[in-house]
Amino acid sequence: MHWLDGLVQGILLGGLFAQYALGMALMFGVMRIVNITHGDLMVLLALIGISLASSYALGPWSVLVLLVLIGGFLGWALQRAILNRVVGDDPLPSLIATFGLSVALQNLMLEVWSADTRSLPGGGIEQASFQLGPLFVGVLPLIVLVTATVLTGGLDAILRFTRFGRALRASSSDVEAAALTGVNPKSVYAGATAIAVAILGFAAVFQSLRSTVSPSDGPFQLIYAFEAVIIGGMGSIWGAFLGAMVLGISQSIGFRIDPGFGILAGHLVFLIVLAVRPQGILGKK
Amino acid sequence: MTEPLLSTTGLVARYGLFQALHGVDITLNAGEVVSLIGANGAGKSTLLKSIMGLISVGRDMVRLDGVPVGGSAPHKMVGRGVAIVPEGRRLFAGMSVEDNLRVAIDHAGPMQPNGWTLARVFALFPILQEKRKVPVESLSGGQQQMVAIGRALLNQPRILLCDEISLGLAPKVVKEIYAALPSISAAGTAIILVEQDVSLARSASNRLYCMLEGRVTLSGNSADITRDAISDAYFGGSHALA
Repeated sequence: MHWLDGLVQGILLGGLFAQYALGMALMFGVMRIVNITHGDLMVLLALIGISLASSYALGPWSVLVLLVLIGGFLGWALQRAILNRVVGDDPLPSLIATFGLSVALQNLMLEVWSADTRSLPGGGIEQASFQLGPLFVGVLPLIVLVTATVLTGGLDAILRFTRFGRALRASSSDVEAAALTGVNPKSVYAGATAIAVAILGFAAVFQSLRSTVSPSDGPFQLIYAFEAVIIGGMGSIWGAFLGAMVLGISQSIGFRIDPGFGILAGHLVFLIVLAVRPQGILGKK
Repeated sequence: MTEPLLSTTGLVARYGLFQALHGVDITLNAGEVVSLIGANGAGKSTLLKSIMGLISVGRDMVRLDGVPVGGSAPHKMVGRGVAIVPEGRRLFAGMSVEDNLRVAIDHAGPMQPNGWTLARVFALFPILQEKRKVPVESLSGGQQQMVAIGRALLNQPRILLCDEISLGLAPKVVKEIYAALPSISAAGTAIILVEQDVSLARSASNRLYCMLEGRVTLSGNSADITRDAISDAYFGGSHALA
């Protein structure tokens, strides 16, 4: 029972990781942009959300809508102002640029919000749970998992079936050929980063409802997102979802083996996948 | 006199310090097929890239309907009705044949009266219909070239630039590809062909330009130019520039 509970909790935790990982799958897996600010942007959105909630007495769902919009705008601006200048075959310039931005963002957040940990009041939803046979399932983690699944399916469908999705896949396959076929890669990339950061708006709300955030949390979330994308396979949206589940279950089982072992267990599973199947679960060679 | 459909005047292009084109003047009129021949490194592909905006050139150096458009971004040139079949095909790997073609449909220039549709491209190259759901990288070279041509056509070009479309293909396949050109130009599309095979270039075009070291060394009606004149222009000879 102990282990079944670990599995269920792991899947639910994976739902949250999937929300970090989706944007990363789009930027790193599809566009090959290494965005080190990924986690910091999530924290920034969470802190903005917490401030908005307390200043205007907003409930979590209104905050969610606002953060998705703000995230979309931030992503668009980030791509237009910075990333479009460094995007290319070489991932190093984008890595260096966003690394610098990440440090700056963390310090900016420290200045504005101080180092305190904060969370978003959920009006009771964060404690609500129901009994499923012998297990207790939290309402919030279930909402997170359902949301992650819908987001994954939606993003995958956008990439497969829409004009924007085809243009993005074409641009990541051969950016010059895409431009020669009429695609404006810079606006396509701006749209993609807008989507990636808008999804972080979901992650920001759920992270600050279930736990706390502080300005220096970003890098941890970044690592989870990277790990999920690589476990699942670069370039695959459902792969990122699957990778997030593997990571969530590994951590959750690890915690049950020893409370100090959870996060390390996730990293170990990541390393094992890298050694055994470096292209990831759904990745092609 | 009416303006030519496309013209370059005094076109110069550089790759860093290396100057690849030294003042190239060419014209393309509506309905024409013009060949560009010349040895490797003569500047033929550079000329096409300059027209498409992949290499930055002066505004006045490229004119479309007499309007200066030099140095516009590639996607803007496509929007104005210029499409290219790039050298080496440059298909979108990982995407199906149909999705490759759909990218062009999604971003096509203004629809021409006798515009290209997926159905017409499939009629031109029936094998593509059969392979429409297949990833492009699993196609043969000739089939990939057909996708590249179809993709350019679905951009609804008034002007189609073809960069070395016979390169690396079996003679039979080259024949098949070139057999499609008359129906493309019959649809009202003017064509510039960059071609290594001189006799193929002559037979497929109304006019030709021969380039050498970034300059045009010979131009005229394809049917009138003698082999000797081409040979001189191609290798230098009496036309060699000091």
